[in-house]
Amino acid sequence: MSDSTRRDFLAAGLILPAALQAAPEPAAKADLRYRVLGKTGLKVTTVGMGAVLITDPSVVARAADLGVNHFDTARDYQGSNSERVIGPVLKSRRDRVVIATKTGAETRQGVLADLELSLKELQTDYIDILYIPGRKAAAEITDELLEAHRIAKQQGKIRFTGVSTHKGHAEVIPAVVKNPHVDVLESSYNFTMDPSIEALIESARKAGKGVVTMKVMAGGYKNGADAERRRGAMLAALKWVLRNPNVHSTAVSMADTDQLEEDLRAMAEPFSEADRKVLLAQLEHIGPLYCRMCGRCEGACPRGLPVADVLRYLTYADGYGQFAMGRQKFLALPAETRSVRCGDCPSCPVRCPFGVEVAKRLHRAQEIFG
Amino acid sequence: MMKAFALILALIPIAAAAGAAGPDCSVVPGWTQKGPARSYVADNLFEYMDGNAEGYLIYGFQKMQGVTCEKDGDTLVIDISEMADPDSAYGIFASNRDSQQPTLPIGMAGQIQPRRAIFVKDKYFVEIAANPAKDHTAALKAFVTAYEKSISGRTTLPDALTWFPAEGQVKDSIRLIPESVLGLRILKRGYVAQYDYGKAFLVKEATPEAAAGVLAKWKARIGEVRPAQLGDEAFQATDRYLGGLYVFRKGPYIAGFANLKPETDGAPLAAALASRIP
Repeated sequence: MSDSTRRDFLAAGLILPAALQAAPEPAAKADLRYRVLGKTGLKVTTVGMGAVLITDPSVVARAADLGVNHFDTARDYQGSNSERVIGPVLKSRRDRVVIATKTGAETRQGVLADLELSLKELQTDYIDILYIPGRKAAAEITDELLEAHRIAKQQGKIRFTGVSTHKGHAEVIPAVVKNPHVDVLESSYNFTMDPSIEALIESARKAGKGVVTMKVMAGGYKNGADAERRRGAMLAALKWVLRNPNVHSTAVSMADTDQLEEDLRAMAEPFSEADRKVLLAQLEHIGPLYCRMCGRCEGACPRGLPVADVLRYLTYADGYGQFAMGRQKFLALPAETRSVRCGDCPSCPVRCPFGVEVAKRLHRAQEIFG
Repeated sequence: MMKAFALILALIPIAAAAGAAGPDCSVVPGWTQKGPARSYVADNLFEYMDGNAEGYLIYGFQKMQGVTCEKDGDTLVIDISEMADPDSAYGIFASNRDSQQPTLPIGMAGQIQPRRAIFVKDKYFVEIAANPAKDHTAALKAFVTAYEKSISGRTTLPDALTWFPAEGQVKDSIRLIPESVLGLRILKRGYVAQYDYGKAFLVKEATPEAAAGVLAKWKARIGEVRPAQLGDEAFQATDRYLGGLYVFRKGPYIAGFANLKPETDGAPLAAALASRIP
């Protein structure tokens, strides 16, 4: 995507028709907003707690007391210790919260066995949403897995079936839309993604699916940004996600009560021009660190540079402080590739659809690694 | 100077390679590799484990090498993660171990269950997952034994673990919390141990002055605190979510107990902890 398109994409948050903006809900203990999770009928807070990093039950308790009612965990988060942390806290509040978990088991027997463990760890008789996680292709939503979910629903152990996806949206989301046995879609969704994601998310909402989003900060940037700027960008990124009425709730990783309170602000505050500027600055900061490996630059360099690979090596150095690793990878390239100098070309025909300044970044890689 | 720095950085992977080679199926007779070997770094770990990657990055994840082995229809998915240092490697181990199962003396620490084995040695965290559903203990033990030998480096637990008094401590409960100890951002990184009557914590700041500053901020945030008889800055308080608190500073360390029941006197407990902190 070009810079201008990216800016338009971000600006879209400012010009949504008023009718499409979420109607304000009565405030609870914090200034909360709720949306109904598609045909499930579950009314959830637009910000939910993602429990992958939870270590202290006090954060879960405070979230629940403030009125957050959507908790998203997984069997393998912290080797099931995430379920163990949140289960005892939510036990006394079970009728007021929606609990979602995931099992990576790929067989009917495995899913049902994992479900029993989740019920035990979460200290509950039922799971509201059990996800089939991390689907990359439509074929990965197998009949066997859906059969396991059907049995679990029949037994009253789960209420709804979800499918989560981090990549392969163009194939997985239409498959979810078409599948009557899937009730909820959980998808990565953030301000760095291709705008085509918008129509996919909308199609899921229109099909009556509950739509939960994740990775509002584009995944692995935690190590790359300084804490203060990251926190500011986090709030803006969260507001950007919530400005979309097709999103019912989002699972946000929260490690402490400070972050919890910051994240809750996103529910009540509209996405503003100031937020757009914060995200543009964040894009500028992380853009070079975020080669999406889409492959669209493959073969585009007339000198034969493996552009995406070199950008990734530079990411190791600039984004994650792993200079040695980046250099080692660069030095493993064939000698004729390593000897290419982008400065020798009068202009660069390689264009990144996501706005990475390719020639400048390649030049830097050649300078620091070469 | 810059060249020397670059040289030092360039040598880091070589040193790491000396600590742990990539996993190899043939270390246990009869097992063969299925498919290509895996290799991940921080910026593409999400491709392998989706959202769970965050739980690795937070412990200073550097890289992962993995392989899938098979024998007679059984498969073992083996991954060796290199973390920032032995403390961080212990941290991810403690965060991923089954708290209801015993910890074994494998490397620094380990666990073997019917379908899963994990252990930590030096800065390496080793995970093996077995399929299909049945008891794979024998195979897991064989691989764990082989890999434990092949990884060189530290086998002793982080020193701080020994500072927590043993009396009343829930076995194998000590965790390294990489961010926000007790769910508080001001307590950046430290250890937490569960006790029958609450939990002990230990956070290290860069200097005694920095620790004093954090303690002052925490006191101000709580508001109503009572002085405690353990140095000038110690305090007691009752927090809605953290229960009874007894907090003190010793040098750069902020430590104490939280979630103490009303009937528990935190003073002797904190004194015992303080006496063990160097």
